Amino acid sequence: MTAGSLSCENIQVSFGGLKAVNGVSYDFKPGLLYGLIGPNGAGKTTLMNALSGHAVLSGGRVRLDGQDITNLSVHRRTRKGLGRSFQITKIFAGMSVLENLQIAAFAHRHRVQPFWLPASRFAAVREQAEQVLEEVELSALAHRPAEYLSHGDQRALEVGLSLLSEPSVLLLDEPLAGVGHDQLEKAIGLISRIVKGRTVLLIEHNMDVVMQVSDEIVVMVQGQLLASGSPDEIRGNAEVRAAYLGEEA
Amino acid sequence: MTRRTVGQTLMAIIIAAMIAIPFFLPGEQWVNLVSLILIWALFAIGFDLVFGVTGMLSFGHAALLGSGGYALTVLTLSYQVGFLPALLAAAVMGALLAFCMGLFALRVSGLFFALLTLALAQMMYILASNKLRALTGGVDGIPGVPRPDMFGINFYDNRNYYAFIVVVFLIGLAVMALLRASPFGRALRAVQANDTRASQLGHNVHALRQSAFVVSGAYAGISGGLLASLMFYISPQMLHWATSGDVMIMTVLGGKGTLLGPILGVAVFELLKEELSQVTQYWYGILGLIFILATIFLRNGIAGLFHGPDDQDQGGAS
Repeated sequence: MTAGSLSCENIQVSFGGLKAVNGVSYDFKPGLLYGLIGPNGAGKTTLMNALSGHAVLSGGRVRLDGQDITNLSVHRRTRKGLGRSFQITKIFAGMSVLENLQIAAFAHRHRVQPFWLPASRFAAVREQAEQVLEEVELSALAHRPAEYLSHGDQRALEVGLSLLSEPSVLLLDEPLAGVGHDQLEKAIGLISRIVKGRTVLLIEHNMDVVMQVSDEIVVMVQGQLLASGSPDEIRGNAEVRAAYLGEEA
Repeated sequence: MTRRTVGQTLMAIIIAAMIAIPFFLPGEQWVNLVSLILIWALFAIGFDLVFGVTGMLSFGHAALLGSGGYALTVLTLSYQVGFLPALLAAAVMGALLAFCMGLFALRVSGLFFALLTLALAQMMYILASNKLRALTGGVDGIPGVPRPDMFGINFYDNRNYYAFIVVVFLIGLAVMALLRASPFGRALRAVQANDTRASQLGHNVHALRQSAFVVSGAYAGISGGLLASLMFYISPQMLHWATSGDVMIMTVLGGKGTLLGPILGVAVFELLKEELSQVTQYWYGILGLIFILATIFLRNGIAGLFHGPDDQDQGGAS
């Protein structure tokens, strides 16, 4: 299996004089879950934006399955199999949960959006949306307007939306952010289900969760990679402790 | 759900009644008023695809309306093209101009989009008034815009031309209803709700915005052609920015983002204008006051009165 390899070479992103990401190179191998950690302002989300096409690179290259995608727009990257969820929930307010998912399914299945038939006539799209609805355990809320969902359910919908493009690489930006203790276990269960068979880059501040689910941990500090390795190696890494864990304690 | 269905049915009945009235009442007054309403309504539902559905504030629709009007006028008068082909050409002209405006204006969003479309439309207004005088007749305009000539029907009779307008309007309404209920319409709503998310899902947001603008341009072009023919006259006034302002006021008053709301908005606007202008020359000021009150107390326009709290329709069945 070669699908799902993502690599970055010397990625640079600057905001004015600030180098938010300063020369990051890394190969994400297919099928593994990478936990991306680092103190606030380390450039984790900016790196993710660079990978998904939301940030303008001032240098470096991004490759998906060996193909250079550096200059591709966001929607083209999605069609090549790069999915993503956002730290700040981005769902379609004013539409039901099912309609949210259907919009994602239409984007995935039709390059040119059909305009000659009502949306309700596309049974396959509805089926796919309902499948994901079940996967993220929101079936009971299918017809609820998305903005009326609880925060935890909105986070689940957020993740569900990114699944409909059937991504081989999935970027998850703090999918557990703001999820209450009572829903945490359910949310972790959801994430461990959907990451199977995919390359995943996960930004998460809950250290117990990251260490538990990740195959590899990548540590960023001040826009640069500090270290990478298995959770155990990172736990034992003195540099990481000093730069990151030490600061928090 | 039920309240929405009832509300939409009520709105449809009111609109159907309005369309039917001129067929039954004697006198030209109603025929002329509803003719005007239906043409502007066609313009407004096209405008709302950009404004209410896709969420782009265009201040340049006057130019699209005017381009259609001039296309029909020049083709029929100077090139002896038939009315129907010329009306089709008016749609193409509106769509083409919308495409060209979109090339510039869609590079920016929000307020800058509004300003850029306004500037481009004013440029067209000045072109029509001065630089293209040979083609457009300058500020004097062009009188004698013809009516359709087919089936041996005399469309110079306002009642017959009204029937023609009704047919074009109903076709335009049906097409728009389908567009809005289609996956394309859903995608446009998604662009309005969250464009970052829409593109992340794989939607080509720029192409969607451009398409909405082009379709809207075609609607404006047809409306402009019909309007010129109704008045037997066209002048650059049709391209003036106040026209863009009027169609926005009508749409907001009726309920943006709804299919039938803008039609009622146009009807109320034109009816008030008709009645108030007979009483006072300051009718525009009173209309403005009504508009301000409506935006404060009728957040979702007239359609909100019928729909209930959840404002915009979802573009049909789901």
